[in-house]
Amino acid sequence: MSSLTKIPAGVQYFFDDEARLRRHVERRAVEVFAGWSYDEIILPMFDYHDLFARGMGVEQAEKTYRFVDRDGALLALRPELTSLVARTVATRFLRRPRPIRLCYSGEVFRYDEPTERGAREFHQLGLELIGQADAAADLEILLVAAEVLAALGIHDFRVALAHVDFFNGVATSLGLDEAGRARLRELIDRRSSYALDGFLREHAPQVEESWRAGFCRLTQVAGKEEALARAREVLLNERSRAAVDELAGVYEAVGALGLGEHFDIDFGDAGGLEYYTGLTFKVYVPEWGAEIGGGGRYDNLIGSFGEPEPAVGFSLSLDGLAGALARRGREAPWREHDGVREVVLGGDLAQAFREARELRARQKKVRMALNPPDPSRPRAI
Amino acid sequence: MLTIAISKGRLQDETLALFARAGLEADGAELNSRRLIVSAIGARCRFVFVKPADVPTYVEYGVADAGVCGRDVLLEARAEVHEPLDLGLGRCRIAVAGRREVVGEDYNLLATVRVATKYPRVTADYFHERGIPIEVVTLAGSVELAPLLGLSDRIVDLVETGRTLRENGLEVIDVITESTARLIVNRASFHLKRSEVSGLVTALAGVV
Repeated sequence: MSSLTKIPAGVQYFFDDEARLRRHVERRAVEVFAGWSYDEIILPMFDYHDLFARGMGVEQAEKTYRFVDRDGALLALRPELTSLVARTVATRFLRRPRPIRLCYSGEVFRYDEPTERGAREFHQLGLELIGQADAAADLEILLVAAEVLAALGIHDFRVALAHVDFFNGVATSLGLDEAGRARLRELIDRRSSYALDGFLREHAPQVEESWRAGFCRLTQVAGKEEALARAREVLLNERSRAAVDELAGVYEAVGALGLGEHFDIDFGDAGGLEYYTGLTFKVYVPEWGAEIGGGGRYDNLIGSFGEPEPAVGFSLSLDGLAGALARRGREAPWREHDGVREVVLGGDLAQAFREARELRARQKKVRMALNPPDPSRPRAI
Repeated sequence: MLTIAISKGRLQDETLALFARAGLEADGAELNSRRLIVSAIGARCRFVFVKPADVPTYVEYGVADAGVCGRDVLLEARAEVHEPLDLGLGRCRIAVAGRREVVGEDYNLLATVRVATKYPRVTADYFHERGIPIEVVTLAGSVELAPLLGLSDRIVDLVETGRTLRENGLEVIDVITESTARLIVNRASFHLKRSEVSGLVTALAGVV
């Protein structure tokens, strides 16, 4: 097949309304980030493979597109942006006062198995808040994420809050080995409570029947006060209980800000454990069958590049946001509604361009129009 | 309203009977027509009828909020979906089979074994875990034919009663895993249509 017609798997061209929509989404998000004093950081398209392996773990770094520098060093197209930010903060921002607020908008590249819907290029809009360990930082990024969605006219989003220590506490108290933890996590993640029940019977026979049933039910639950109440009914270890308390605190705070309807607490989310260290969240929007973004607290990442520092962050998928908005199509603020002034390139070229320049000085949109082409002479293609 | 993808064929009737017992009965008149989208009586949900292997796709993309398909299909599709219930229907096995003469024969670890199957990933995983080099021949149906005509040394296929195998002079060599029908749920629908989804799971759990 000709490489003129074939496009490599997983990449896309955007034009017309689609391109306008993507820029519209990006602009709105970046405006919101700037409104909360997040400074933009523009990051390199590729960096050393080792950097990504150090940041996101070897397994994740396996998904990168790799190539060799002229000196033989292994490079990778950036599979995510947080590691690049973290490295910069840990090395070049050492003397800057904390907290540091940074935001970014850019493409990342990941070779993935058929999940991720075949795409290999993703545009992420995200931010990181570094050097602040308290709940206020967690709350801040949740509010920024919610504001981005509202700024795009998406008012029916749902944020599912979770906490890694809920799972970690349970896995530790059950005394599971590495393989057992991985399996437990997978079963919770798929919400297969029947398989979870079977697994616990076999690998944690010491636990009581009632606890097992309660825990299995709990992992099927996402909700509000009733979910918290259920979690507290299930007798939990100290670490998991602290996680539940923390989630309750965040939920109460977003409720006090009038955002309660958008937030749920999810006890069946065991994702991102090798990376996150506290609160995590995922954002869902109708018209998009998968999470449209997410984030959380990752207090161990910066330490991989220098002095340990607390940090929170999130990213939203521009592809997802634009896809969801395109499917709504009700109002389309990114489309050009303003009339275009046509300036005819007739006789006097200088006169025509003078007119156009005057229109431009008044911020009008112009299009330089040739005399209509002669239809008797079709254009050669 | 929930959209539920139902596997056409082997599992369809049993699945619909189970949903009916759970209070979600497909409209009989619509069902007898050739429509691909059928509403439930009382229109609390609608059913879409798709090829079994497509069910995980419809659910992963969220065009269906939930679906019913065999574990065999799920293992092959590796879709990012929730799997809250084992519906216990359509019990069968995914098995390695071959001509009677080769049963019990050791795999020659130096030669590549050729395996015909509708499940290329499940097959590759099974043999790779055992360090057996294989060549997977992916077929869309009548897999039993492959060893008879010499297209492959072994097959990996669904075995329900084993009758088709026997009638074609084949025998099960090893069972890879058991399979039953599962309820799967889209990850976003789980959150965005929480009460409807949990209502569905609870109703089905009550009749399984």
